[in-house]
Amino acid sequence: MKNFQKHVSVKLLLSATAFFCASFNAYADGESIAVFTKNQTNPYFQVVRLGAEAAAKQMNAKSTNYIPTKPDSIPEQMSQVEDVIIKKPDAIFFIPVDYKAMGPAVLKMNAANIPVVNVTDRSEIGKFVSFVGASDYNLGLETAKHLFKAMGGKGNVIALEGVKGSLTNIDRMKGLVDAQKEFPEIKLLASQPANYQRLQALQVMENLMQTYPKIDGVFAANDAMATGAIEALEGANRKALVSGINGTKEAIDAIKSGAMLATGDYSGFLQGCIGMMAAIRHLRGLPVNTDIVFPATVIDKTNLQKEDVPVEKRMCPKWEEVVKS
Amino acid sequence: MNLSLPHLTTDARAIVYRLFILGLMCFTLSLVSDAFLTLNNVLNVLRQASLLFLLASGLTLVVLTAGLDLSIGANVAMSACLAGSVMKATGSPLLGVLVGLGCGTLIGLINGYFVAFLRVPPFIATYGMLWILHGLTYWFMDGQTIYGFPKEFRVIGSGYWFGIPVPIYLMLVFFAIGSVFITRTNYGHEIYAIGANANMAHLSGVPVKRRLVLVYVVSGAMAGLASLVFLARLNSAEGDIGEALTLPAIAAVLIGGTSLFGGVGTLSGTLVGAIILTLVLNAMNLLTISANWQPLVMGSIVILAVFLDTILRKRMGSR
Repeated sequence: MKNFQKHVSVKLLLSATAFFCASFNAYADGESIAVFTKNQTNPYFQVVRLGAEAAAKQMNAKSTNYIPTKPDSIPEQMSQVEDVIIKKPDAIFFIPVDYKAMGPAVLKMNAANIPVVNVTDRSEIGKFVSFVGASDYNLGLETAKHLFKAMGGKGNVIALEGVKGSLTNIDRMKGLVDAQKEFPEIKLLASQPANYQRLQALQVMENLMQTYPKIDGVFAANDAMATGAIEALEGANRKALVSGINGTKEAIDAIKSGAMLATGDYSGFLQGCIGMMAAIRHLRGLPVNTDIVFPATVIDKTNLQKEDVPVEKRMCPKWEEVVKS
Repeated sequence: MNLSLPHLTTDARAIVYRLFILGLMCFTLSLVSDAFLTLNNVLNVLRQASLLFLLASGLTLVVLTAGLDLSIGANVAMSACLAGSVMKATGSPLLGVLVGLGCGTLIGLINGYFVAFLRVPPFIATYGMLWILHGLTYWFMDGQTIYGFPKEFRVIGSGYWFGIPVPIYLMLVFFAIGSVFITRTNYGHEIYAIGANANMAHLSGVPVKRRLVLVYVVSGAMAGLASLVFLARLNSAEGDIGEALTLPAIAAVLIGGTSLFGGVGTLSGTLVGAIILTLVLNAMNLLTISANWQPLVMGSIVILAVFLDTILRKRMGSR
């Protein structure tokens, strides 16, 4: 706890300094951007933060992270937003921990006239400079299609669902269901929840293997569950094609070793880059599209070289390369 | 010695009730699913229950003293992440195992010190510890996942001996050791005595503080062991693996009939509790109950199991 407080107080100091500097050279370098992400535990958000930091560095602005200590805590993010409004950064990069519950927080930011870029999870209400994200529906759809094609268009599939009621899960599962409509010979044996957790996914998969002697494919709504399912299959000496979503390093390594088929790329680094760039561009009076949704790409054996770069070494692409106005 | 007599008689009865409830569940399930009562599925359920039991067994001792250890899940996460990182860095399973067990035990020792010597209420001491451990683990892991451990290490989680998964042996061994410990040794009797009435225990010469430290150390060490089983089974770990483990472990202890007020309970009850909880998930998967209904079914069965238990006890008590 002490460690954390120290961490925060250093950050506060930094952001205060950044703000101080910014007020002297407005519309030039050194803008301060507050970056909100959901938790410290999910590798995805770590990659988003790295992307945002890289973009801030490239464009000579300063970013400060705000992360709930309790993962995905609504009250904690709410109070962090209140704190940040008092500090008045130049702009806010905002991933709501809950797309509905954080609505009032967004309205407060709007009321304080701080420009906000909404990233990853689309907030239900509020005014935003831009939304930057990937479409969970498209990711679910494309990853599922990829899996079904690799299965030769027929066979039995198990789906492992994420946290019930979360936007990512709802949309990814919708994508799966719609993909299945295009493949009449694919049979969805069971769709069971494992809450994005690897241990639960392992157990659910072990249980389902008891009832289903023939499983050809597994669609997991994230990579952690996909790896849990792979362990279960290996433990029982059974084989099935397994796909995940998020494009984590763990999944990419599993694809390289042949244990996993594919993962839907949530392009966290890119979301971080472009989200941060959108905020800074807005402050500098450059044009910014109001809706930037990356096309869904699926990473498999054929295209993983591009992803196989340590994220610390990656550079943000140029704005024009990604955003077509 | 007279301290031990009252709980032993009630214990025998309590075990019969719980086995009856378990039997009832199994019977019902075998009617609705063909896959349920097969050797494979029985081994499957026992293997899944083992991790939960290892965690809950240490916790049982703590609850017997009228304490609580909320930090076990966070302990598992931290011990797993440290042990995994050491194993990755050195390539030595032995070193990893020592670090995992050592980390778990040390956390237990700190909990015990706070509870016994600084008189911090167990709920607060271990709740605070939970946050400290989460904070340290998140900081240490920095949002990363560690994976890929040596084969010889993975045996304790995913190996088989004579066709039976290794975690089941671990569960049975620790069940046997634990049962002997709490029913046949003075330590065990003293733990029950502390839970029944700490002042009385103190007056009759029980070294209350040292025994309290002992139970938290055991709970921490079991969390350390559970972290190794987790690592070996999943072949990977990340900072947030512990959060989903604490409440089921507490539930297993309570479903097993151990009283939160201390002094009453058995390890066999906890074993049955862990199996009942695992069975519910197993059954929901086998019957492919929709994700929408699973939490509701889980909650109802937990309450029903404890309710049945209470009724059976009352009827038996009134005779």
